[in-house]
Amino acid sequence: MNVIECKDLEKLYFRKRVLNNLSFSIEENKITGLIGRNGAGKTTLLKIIAGYIKETNGDINVFSERPFNSLNVSVNSIFVDDHMSFPPALQLGEILEEAGRFYPNWNAKLAKRLFDYFRFDEKGYHNRLSKGKTSTFNMIIGLASRCPLTIFDEPTTGMDEAVRKDFYRALLKDYIAYPRTIIISSHHVNEIEDLLEDVLLIHDGKKLLHLPIGELKEWAIAIKGDSETVVKFIEGKEVLYKNEVGVNTMYVVVKQDSPGSLKEKAHLAGVEVVSVPSSDLFVYLTTDAKGGIDDVFKNN
Amino acid sequence: MMSLKTTNLIETVKNQYFFKLKANIDSFSSLVGIQILAILFSLGGVGSSGMGGAEISVNVKHYSSDMIFVFTLIWSFITAVTITTRPYRNHDFSFVSNRLSSSLSNILFLGTASLLGGVTCILSGNLVEIIANVFLNQQVYSLTGGASHIILGIMITFFYLFLFSAIGYLVGTLVQVSKLFVIVLPVLFIGLLFLEASTSREPFLSNLFQFFAMEPNISLFIVKMVLTSVALFTVSLSILNRLEVRR
Repeated sequence: MNVIECKDLEKLYFRKRVLNNLSFSIEENKITGLIGRNGAGKTTLLKIIAGYIKETNGDINVFSERPFNSLNVSVNSIFVDDHMSFPPALQLGEILEEAGRFYPNWNAKLAKRLFDYFRFDEKGYHNRLSKGKTSTFNMIIGLASRCPLTIFDEPTTGMDEAVRKDFYRALLKDYIAYPRTIIISSHHVNEIEDLLEDVLLIHDGKKLLHLPIGELKEWAIAIKGDSETVVKFIEGKEVLYKNEVGVNTMYVVVKQDSPGSLKEKAHLAGVEVVSVPSSDLFVYLTTDAKGGIDDVFKNN
Repeated sequence: MMSLKTTNLIETVKNQYFFKLKANIDSFSSLVGIQILAILFSLGGVGSSGMGGAEISVNVKHYSSDMIFVFTLIWSFITAVTITTRPYRNHDFSFVSNRLSSSLSNILFLGTASLLGGVTCILSGNLVEIIANVFLNQQVYSLTGGASHIILGIMITFFYLFLFSAIGYLVGTLVQVSKLFVIVLPVLFIGLLFLEASTSREPFLSNLFQFFAMEPNISLFIVKMVLTSVALFTVSLSILNRLEVRR
């Protein structure tokens, strides 16, 4: 069953096209990573899914309903980010109680245990929390609500390394205990990579890739060797990234048409094959000018 | 597999209503503050008349809850405007909500606030008389006519407060649509006042005032109040229903 179905989705903000012909679907009980550069449209997409904002064109269905103004979508989903706001009159303990009033699957025990583990004060106030603490608290709400669709938009903003690791572990453990559909958008691709089943990469409001994380690792390979051999080898292939590393040595990332198809050939050609870290691959795919920031300084 | 839950509007509105009673507790403390202020202002008497002869002089001071009433009206207007602002709408959407349930629970909250405002307003009128008698040593001749009088007073005050909430809710909603209304609405209102003072055509605002404030028939008064409030809320609701949150 598909939890989210999205067809030709388009969103305009004051004539600026933020989402452009976006079509994809997300299956039930999968953890999907939503990856994209700053301003790619990740948050806009997630807010449309959560029913906060309206799509301009196209179809979006969450649990087979249009999310905007749908109570059933609202009760079965939660959108967690660092802008989540709660009434300033309520203490943290009271906010947890209120969340329990609204979400039918709310696990008060889990909430309380996480609350104590991260050393929150029940009498504290949400607007007095630090950036990292705010994210941690919101994450607790997101996990304990156990919504069939849980959306984390940059959940780790401001969290320190230890808390981030704890969060990923808590997320995974609770997911195993209580499988649900989870979407995480994050800039820390290498951190969440092990958590994800699927990856959805968007750029400039368009879908670039949507595939299982295992296939992603085979999607492209990097080769390294002396420039002449490498240049000959990459002829006619889709080059994602090219860089001179040292004297007469070249590092090139090329797309593999099918898994493993290039590896053999590269070995035969006598160039070294290295795997591409996913986070690097995303950067190459979403950098418009091949060569990157170096190009800016080259002509100076 | 996780099963989907369903919910309905009534359930959600009920949850949100109790949530708001807690979350908007500050508006009740401001009610207390504003009424205490109004009581202090009222202690000087809202009007006085005197007469005297050679041997005797009589000075009559009028104590009433008029001032408290006006202050409470302003309070209910401001409370309604406040809960239409962006932070308040965002609070709703941190939990389960849609735009309709958000507004309906707001209206219920404003109704509760109006009732509370009405009760405290009428009772503080009595308080003014007592304070005048006990602390200011004034001889009080109370004109209030017992329980039925008080209940009638509370009811009428409630309807006025609710109407002002409805006006405030609409004003707040319009401002949420465009900040231009912050300028347009006061200009329109004050402009209308001046226009009426300077021209001799049918005075719109004073007719409006007559229509709502000078109705002698109680049931007709209630019908007028309820219909107007419902109409105002419906307009706000249909506007808010299309508004995006947290963009």
